[in-house]
Amino acid sequence: MNSHHRWLLEQLPQWERDGLLTADAVRVLQERHATDDSQPGVAQVIMGSLGALLIGAGLIAVIGYNWDDFSRPVRLLFAFLPLLATQIASFRVLQHGDAAVAWVRETTALLQALATGACIAIVSQIYNLGGEWPDFLFWWMLLSLPLVWVMRSHAVAVFYLAGIAVWSVSQVDPLERWYASALMYPILALGLAPFWPGWPPRWQLSRSLQWALTLSTGVGLCAAAGSSAYLWTGARYGHGDAWAWLWIFTMTVLFLLPVRPPDLNDTRRHDPQVSLNGCLLLIAGFGISFKDGSREVLNGLGSALELPWTWGCLALVIIFGIPAIRQKRWGLIVVAALALTPMLALALGAAGTRVLPWLMSLHLLLIGVLLIGLDFTGRRGSPRLGATLICALIIARMFESELSLLVKGLVFIVVGIAFLAFNILMSRLHRQKQLLQP
Amino acid sequence: MKALPLIIFALAALAQWAAPLSQIWTHEQTLTHGTLIKLKCSAPDPYDPLRGRYLAVRPDQREASVPEGVKLEQGMHIYATLTTGADGLATITSLSVKPPTSGNFVRVKTGYTYDEKASIEWPFDRFYINEKLAPEADEWFAENIRSAKGIIAEVRVLNGRAVLADLSLDGKPFREILKQRVR
Repeated sequence: MNSHHRWLLEQLPQWERDGLLTADAVRVLQERHATDDSQPGVAQVIMGSLGALLIGAGLIAVIGYNWDDFSRPVRLLFAFLPLLATQIASFRVLQHGDAAVAWVRETTALLQALATGACIAIVSQIYNLGGEWPDFLFWWMLLSLPLVWVMRSHAVAVFYLAGIAVWSVSQVDPLERWYASALMYPILALGLAPFWPGWPPRWQLSRSLQWALTLSTGVGLCAAAGSSAYLWTGARYGHGDAWAWLWIFTMTVLFLLPVRPPDLNDTRRHDPQVSLNGCLLLIAGFGISFKDGSREVLNGLGSALELPWTWGCLALVIIFGIPAIRQKRWGLIVVAALALTPMLALALGAAGTRVLPWLMSLHLLLIGVLLIGLDFTGRRGSPRLGATLICALIIARMFESELSLLVKGLVFIVVGIAFLAFNILMSRLHRQKQLLQP
Repeated sequence: MKALPLIIFALAALAQWAAPLSQIWTHEQTLTHGTLIKLKCSAPDPYDPLRGRYLAVRPDQREASVPEGVKLEQGMHIYATLTTGADGLATITSLSVKPPTSGNFVRVKTGYTYDEKASIEWPFDRFYINEKLAPEADEWFAENIRSAKGIIAEVRVLNGRAVLADLSLDGKPFREILKQRVR
């Protein structure tokens, strides 16, 4: 978005000279579309991070060679010199404060994080230390975390988020104690909190960081859900059928998470946690709507309801769902409810197996209709997504039905024509709306 | 310049030094003051992308008897007392939940337990080698691992901590043998 604003600001003087805008209009536009240059641009971060990653990877490869001919103290010096150099560089950047160039700040912070990892790696190589890579990763991430706070480094924040997510997945093990399991993920993720000082936190995140946060919390919390199942049941393989449900409930919580209060003036469509978890919930909903496997799905749900993780998630769904209802975010609510509908089928007992596919199909149909209807009533909807959902639902049910190929083929043609016609209609309506705008 | 970020940075930089330095200190103490224990072992040749080539060292003894009345769970940290035999090689003679008051002992992790026996995970499992020597090490291992003398892991032990100091064959250090072979 910043690049669009920057382009606009560059054009304003010329437009003023050409007489297209008055001086007052230029001033208003400059104030309204002011860019925040203290935040690094995506290209700057990528270039800086790539450079730092290459140097870091080179350093690790040099260490990997194992300089046998040198004495232990000399080899230890190799470990600490890059760390010291990057620490000095970071200190120099800190001294410059806000005047420091964004990409330099990013690069030095990431280099220091990599040099820290390289230092621990070379020490463990010199002393032939055993140990597992997740332990190494855990300490590396912890030692890198303060750099996110003090250097305000997006690159190290992304690196940290990726690292703790990978660590959490590696810790889903029936033998791990709770403090060494993936249940530690939320605490590790909270470590990033000082990156957004003040209360309530100012969640002004760059797009890349938003995505990193979404992916990391999704993976990390799903891993934590797995660990919670192991720890609660105390069984090595117990409740394996419940895992998919633990993930679905976790995704529902993340989907409803009110990270950023909805702003009516905000032109952005959705935050990544809404887009990603919404898509995953829809895919899960489609999966459950098939007749095959209904019994397993309900058995899994029954097992999941015996686990505290599920009840915690359901409590959060209610807590986050209430403000969403108050704000009339119907699209959000109806998609989140996909996780709750199968409970109705479960409550029906033996008949639930037959009812579940129909219930889910109806629910998905309702989502499709609602997403279209909201747009027609002037609210925030997603008509094309709604139409796609309905089409996909019809196709899925046709595949499952025992109708003849001829009937199926005709239905597909009709649905295809209706879909294309709807697309054309929406394009026209969109164009008309644009023309009507002052 | 604000003071708080600098203080946090200084603490972080100190922690970044303290973590490896504490490792160095404890392992140097073990190498300098620890008792030398020799263990017969086997080892293939894997690779660690972060730390380079290493020989996966596995002492031959991988299980020991569980004392009567002691209940061990998988993943527990326990203490293995090592006793050196007439051949100069050490073996685990007992397991205990608390550190023994005397003798040489190593902190190990328990694996599965069965029939009053427990499998154990040694605190060392790798010996890093120079990339250039690695192919030669491969051959050396293949030739000698099944010999009667066997490859010996020389481990320094102090207060339950063990550091793998060297590998040897017939009393000759591993690196020396390899360097002679490379020539």
